[in-house]
Amino acid sequence: MTTLEQKPAKAEGRKDPWSQLLDKVGKHQDREAYHALFEHFGPQIKYYAMANGLASHAEELVQEVFVSIWRRSCLYDWRKAAASTWIFTIARNQRIDMLRKMQRTSAEMQVETEDLWQIPGENENEPVTSLHRLMSERRIRDSLKHLPEEQITVIAKVYMENKSHQMVADELDIPLGTVKSRVRLALNKLKVILQDQNV
Amino acid sequence: MTRHHPDSLSLMEYSAGNLSEPHALCIRLHLDKCPHCRSRVDTLDSLGAVMMEEQPKVSVSESMFDDILARISAEPELEPVKPSLPKVGVLEKLLGEDLNSLPWKRQLGDVSVLDISEKFPDQKEQVVLQKLAAGGKAPAHTHRGEETTIVLQGAFADQKGVFNQWDFVVLTDQDEHKPVAVGCEDCITLSVLSAPVKLTGTFTRLLNPFLR
Repeated sequence: MTTLEQKPAKAEGRKDPWSQLLDKVGKHQDREAYHALFEHFGPQIKYYAMANGLASHAEELVQEVFVSIWRRSCLYDWRKAAASTWIFTIARNQRIDMLRKMQRTSAEMQVETEDLWQIPGENENEPVTSLHRLMSERRIRDSLKHLPEEQITVIAKVYMENKSHQMVADELDIPLGTVKSRVRLALNKLKVILQDQNV
Repeated sequence: MTRHHPDSLSLMEYSAGNLSEPHALCIRLHLDKCPHCRSRVDTLDSLGAVMMEEQPKVSVSESMFDDILARISAEPELEPVKPSLPKVGVLEKLLGEDLNSLPWKRQLGDVSVLDISEKFPDQKEQVVLQKLAAGGKAPAHTHRGEETTIVLQGAFADQKGVFNQWDFVVLTDQDEHKPVAVGCEDCITLSVLSAPVKLTGTFTRLLNPFLR
């Protein structure tokens, strides 16, 4: 908070447009900003639902995601996560939640979806690391352009089609080890693995 | 501070939302205590966001935004969620406050177990709590398939090192180990088993809590 008040100009400069809009929704229940987010992310989430085998519930999922965005927006802190990252995790959680409710055989779920899958930036003890976060998203977008097609295909199947590494291997008819090494190579370039070595 | 972390591939499957509930639980318990892995998952979540952005877009029906507005306006009880403090952890929610006073089933000597698979009714895996009494030893065993374990209390040691609270370890059928509880507390672990444990010692049938 204080950072924002002390250096408004500099802080604003670091905020991408979607994060600024989400911030407005959270702070002022700004419906115009909410609508702009809907226009941008709604069609992405609809595709996400369809790719995940929820074709007949795709619009329902988009609705659930946006109602959830509205409800949770007051918890959103742009310094802790970019809006697109935050919205992706909401979409993922709503997708998991919808599938759990559809598949469940027993009456009550003992564990809520959100007990298992975290939304970034909602950990109270997390230090504010805006620069790191925003750079990381920018870096991923840039690095992704240089990845070979075969690596992107595997990552896309894992993220967009809800497929485990084993399922991707079966579908592409390649060994599991090949899938894993493609993912490792990609994560290496995206600097996720590099962080492993600093442990 | 935890020393043993989930590998990047598991964190990626977590971030993509592809893990089973018991496996997601193990990762989540670790994440709650490990800022390092939280930051890795944040990066992976950003990867998910960028992937979603790169995919085709499908236009939504004209009336949908109005429907959403109607929903958020019509429900007056639709208060924005507030951070609930203090938050009840998922472990406490599942198992109550005191891990030591659970209805443990003594297996042999120093080992007690408690099968909590029924808390995950729609999942295939076996979910088991194991308790090794302070200073106690477990019989040597390997694992059929894969066993994902997180230390909930105390610490254990085997030939691969010392595993402290919130440390994360995956064992396969290649790993034979003989864990010993170290420190002055009983060591309690949560394990997700894709297939039952196989004992390699002398008491095979007798001891194995995971054989029917």
